[in-house]
Amino acid sequence: MFEFAFSSVREAIHMNGHGVYVWTVFLIVITNITYFFINYKNKINKIKNKLDASS
Amino acid sequence: MIKRFIHQFASPKTYLFQVNKVYRYIFYISLIIYSFSLTWGLLFTPEDFVQGNSYRIIYLHVPASFISQSLYAIMAIASITYLIWRVKLAAYFIIAIAPIGAMTTFIALISGSIWGIPTWGTWWQWDARITSTLILFIMYLGLISLHNSFSNYEKADKLLSWLVIVGFVNIPIIKKSVDWWSTLHQSASITLTDKPSIDPSMLYPLIGCIIGFFGLIICLVILSSKYQIFKRERKKSWVKEYV
Repeated sequence: MFEFAFSSVREAIHMNGHGVYVWTVFLIVITNITYFFINYKNKINKIKNKLDASS
Repeated sequence: MIKRFIHQFASPKTYLFQVNKVYRYIFYISLIIYSFSLTWGLLFTPEDFVQGNSYRIIYLHVPASFISQSLYAIMAIASITYLIWRVKLAAYFIIAIAPIGAMTTFIALISGSIWGIPTWGTWWQWDARITSTLILFIMYLGLISLHNSFSNYEKADKLLSWLVIVGFVNIPIIKKSVDWWSTLHQSASITLTDKPSIDPSMLYPLIGCIIGFFGLIICLVILSSKYQIFKRERKKSWVKEYV
């Protein structure tokens, strides 16, 4: 069940010509999720600092 | 009695204290499940006989697509809760979920388009599933813009709730579009009623990806709702004490 599906890392990146599609989608998903986490953390910190300053 | 129960347990203050306790656990467990399942799906599952390796996009596309619709359903439940019981937290949830819903729908659309290039030979088709998902994306953006255009939050919340409920009609259309119309998009591989049409070696990592991704999205919703609470309740003394 956990057998590496490719014969080398190079082949895993290339995926018989489909790697460009698969890894592009992978990057889009990871970038979006990471951006949203960082963005909300920053927004919360900013508003916390504002509240801190006002009190 | 229901009203009292909801108001007691859905006060922004109680909610904030409760989610703070569980946030870390949900985040790390989901991250582990998602990373493990994604690695399993992308590198350790066999190649598909028909689609080749491009089918591996399923591990990124399906969770996003499933969650984009689920988030809208949660927004509809929050809208009904707000309109009937006037629960403030439900109103905060609606606007907290909308940007995350837009993001997941965007991922579903873009990953589907990229998947379409090697599979269908085209990145876009105006078929029922893709068009109804595009409508969902536009609806999310419309709801965010509409809410931002109001200076009176209460009016915005009311209008938004009604619009979310009206727009909910699109969700069963997206779900059933592949059955009702002849579409380029394949029919669902996993349903609640039938046996999955996907091989178990490909199915298990997919289920893991859905669970892990859902957990991460829950964490984003928690952060987003926390931001909404701070923004909208900033004049309350408990918020100042909390911060």
